[in-house]
Amino acid sequence: MSRAMTKRVHKALTDENLQTALTRLLGLIKFVRQIAFAGLDFESLSQEIRRVKENSIANLPELVEQFKSQATKAGAVVYEAEDADDANKYILKLAQERKVKHIVKSKSMLGEEIELREHLEKAGIGVTETDIGEWIVQLAGERPAHLVGPAVHKTIEQVAELMSKATGQELGTDPQALLDAARRTLRQTYIDADMGISGANIAIAETGTLVVVTNEGNGCMATTLPPVHVAVVGYEKIVSSWKDAAAIFRLLSRCTAGMKMPVYISHITGPSQTDAIPGAVLPGAGGPEEVHIVLVDNGRWQMRESEEFREALYCIKCGTCLNVCPVFASVAGQVYGYVYQGGIGAILTAFLHSMDKAEEVASLCLGCMACKEACPARIDIPRMITRLRASLAEEKGLTLLNRIAYRSILKYQPRLDNVVRIGSHLQQPFVDTDLMIRRLPGPLNELTKAISLPALSSRPLRDRLKDYSSPRPTGKPKVAFYSGCVGAYAYPEIGEYVMKVLEECGARPYYPMGQACCGAPAYFAGDVETALSLARTNIAALEEIRPDYIVTVCPGCATILQREYLNLTTSEPRWNQRARALAGKVCDFSQLLLELTPSVPKKPSRNQKVTYHDPCHLRRGIGVFNEPRQLLEREGFEVIEMADSDSCCGFGGHVVLSYPELSKSVLKRKLDNIEATGAETVITNCLPCILQLRGGLDKRNSRIKVMHSAELLADTFEITR
Amino acid sequence: MDVQAAGLVEQFKAEASRAGAVVYEASTTEDAANYLLKLAQERNIKSAVKSKSRVADGTKLRKHLENAGIEVKEADLKGWIAQLAGEKSTEQKSIKQVERLISKATGKKLNPNPRVLLNAANLAIRQYCIDADLGISEADIAIAETGTLVIVGYEGVTRLVAVLPRIHVTLVNSQNVVSVLEDVIAKLKLLTENAACQTMPNYITYITGRNTTADIPGAVLARAQGPAEEHILLINKAAERNAS
Repeated sequence: MSRAMTKRVHKALTDENLQTALTRLLGLIKFVRQIAFAGLDFESLSQEIRRVKENSIANLPELVEQFKSQATKAGAVVYEAEDADDANKYILKLAQERKVKHIVKSKSMLGEEIELREHLEKAGIGVTETDIGEWIVQLAGERPAHLVGPAVHKTIEQVAELMSKATGQELGTDPQALLDAARRTLRQTYIDADMGISGANIAIAETGTLVVVTNEGNGCMATTLPPVHVAVVGYEKIVSSWKDAAAIFRLLSRCTAGMKMPVYISHITGPSQTDAIPGAVLPGAGGPEEVHIVLVDNGRWQMRESEEFREALYCIKCGTCLNVCPVFASVAGQVYGYVYQGGIGAILTAFLHSMDKAEEVASLCLGCMACKEACPARIDIPRMITRLRASLAEEKGLTLLNRIAYRSILKYQPRLDNVVRIGSHLQQPFVDTDLMIRRLPGPLNELTKAISLPALSSRPLRDRLKDYSSPRPTGKPKVAFYSGCVGAYAYPEIGEYVMKVLEECGARPYYPMGQACCGAPAYFAGDVETALSLARTNIAALEEIRPDYIVTVCPGCATILQREYLNLTTSEPRWNQRARALAGKVCDFSQLLLELTPSVPKKPSRNQKVTYHDPCHLRRGIGVFNEPRQLLEREGFEVIEMADSDSCCGFGGHVVLSYPELSKSVLKRKLDNIEATGAETVITNCLPCILQLRGGLDKRNSRIKVMHSAELLADTFEITR
Repeated sequence: MDVQAAGLVEQFKAEASRAGAVVYEASTTEDAANYLLKLAQERNIKSAVKSKSRVADGTKLRKHLENAGIEVKEADLKGWIAQLAGEKSTEQKSIKQVERLISKATGKKLNPNPRVLLNAANLAIRQYCIDADLGISEADIAIAETGTLVIVGYEGVTRLVAVLPRIHVTLVNSQNVVSVLEDVIAKLKLLTENAACQTMPNYITYITGRNTTADIPGAVLARAQGPAEEHILLINKAAERNAS
């Protein structure tokens, strides 16, 4: 969290133009994603891209040599630039030697990264961006707001104003008229330019070919009309073969624009040439006489060396991760403060720019994993963000507050219990009769602006489940209940229902008293030491009575137990083995219930409409989304699907604490979608989601109830605590 | 055409149409020429540029349009020189002869130096492309999977003809429709070997449907910076040969 970021987030959330543009963008993205993958085996196609990129990056040194030699043979000049400065100097010198006055440029994120345009402009050379979106951003004097759609944050009125000023004509707000004006203006700049600069989406080693993709046609013109063509290419763009390139084409435009193929793919292998004039084969026939390829490192080779972050180089810059990111949907791309946005942006920023900037970018991550699920190169962005935070914590140390919170309190369950007990006394003046906190004093009130909070229970779950410290001696399956902190301190009654319903359904539930916090808060803040210590505590506590199942009500905890304990213990084989044994037993309440009672017939309709919110960590963390719905339908409830049922409620990560205003904006979309279903109850099998949804609905004075499946079932089974 | 090939052509037609191109299957070269002329007249076209074509006799096609009063410029250099010389095929010429032709066409007395002549030709041809309302290309390969045209060339004009004019028409031999993206490279290698030039063509352009933009808020608009219309003329060469 930083002050500057808080300010930028606030500015974005209160910018009416931006919010209007974003509403339009979200509609467009939804449409694109609906049509993009119809009838397509996305999984196998994305695996293919993954394979291509893995191989390319693994064999990069050889591929670079091959690319250089083939491109040179075809007549291109290849220059290898170490960093931004090196690349900029080479291009400026070339431009000055060729007496270049004006340059047309087709969109290149690498160009943005090295600030190439600014560098050339400073030396007095005119540069026109030719992608219409990029041109709009240039006219506005801003940076692109999205990898693919640079001007997605602009309204039509803003675009009309910018273009009117640029063309000296009074242009209205008719999109077609604006497009015609843009085309006419840009057309002349290609004709007048002495140099064309492009990026490359792909570079093919086997033939030394550059591949430039555009839908507008600007790439074709910018690379053909001027006499000199310069391409700035990051090393990670090199692939081995045309076949490899085909695998990328197949998904690239589906992801960016919902199209099967980009409209124009220009393959450029050396400068144009002709043998039509007797006497010689000459370069420069109806196209550039010179092609310069500037291969740029600027941190990429270092990234390649890193086991943990190498996969960020597999990014094909399609922008899909931004399209599905709930934070991007609230604030767009300019708040990130650097060229690369979103989750992948944090990682790229760390290597291609600076750690400080990267920390800011990463601080906006909700950890909802929507990006990981949608990425066509199967990049595990959330994993890298966690690693990034860990290296930042290692490098800079934890903040004092975090150090105390994690290492002196969270790590020791009894201390945490005591702190909560003190908290439950201190909170008294602010707790309303219905056990909700709607206002807190001083700066803490930021927290209660977005949502009403549940009061901390004066009797934590541990005190209530004393009779359940071990399973009753019968032959039924043994189920260890892991409550997580929200379950232990905020909603202990839900834990009690879980026990009763499980007993009713033929299990022997018990509550291992040695359990502690799963460690997630520390882990995601980069405090691996505390997380590992808690992993050991919980593994020991949960394996003790050899349960058949471990049931959770917090999917965040479940994900930690099932996956992250394995990662945390990799260097300790014996703990790792124990973590693995544990992982196989972790399940959600709904999964377990269906497994315990497989032959229960469907109950008659109760004429009660419910809607189901998919918690991020339940759906994408441990892959459970059918079971909760099945269970509800089996019990006779009518499940009405809300729009975007699997998008984050806004509670994730540290965002709810660091940027409550942002969390509120993400929550708003969720609550709107819930209300639109007309359901009386929203069910979700995640206590943190329940906290967020109840708190948000309370602020709206809504009558919609938020319940965990266990509560609803206890209700229908007429179980009392 | 066998069943499999016919299936590919059908798939190509469906995909290209879906991406916004207008596809016409011509029974003969004459049929294609008539389609082209009708289109040009309906769109009120005054001038056209054309890159070289093998699938249809390019000169015949040009004459067909010229007879109807439409100016047609050959845009590839050999084709243009031949057009200037009023010859059908490109016979070997001396540098002196080429100098005379280009000097006459550009109205400037040029040195018989290859670079000078090439620069003058580039300027002239580029202007034709900028001024023309209609561009006529040939695709060497078409991809059924995506409805994509693959236009191959050594000169930049292959791309200018395809992008600069308001209307773009591409001729394709329906025998050159391949199934998937991965098939392109093998076919390219075959093409370049046959053409006895061992290097990769400098410019290979894939075009899929009509160009668009989503950069102006409010709508996804067709005709971003390229042509307003993409037409594809499929010519079945094998059937034509069998018929004659």
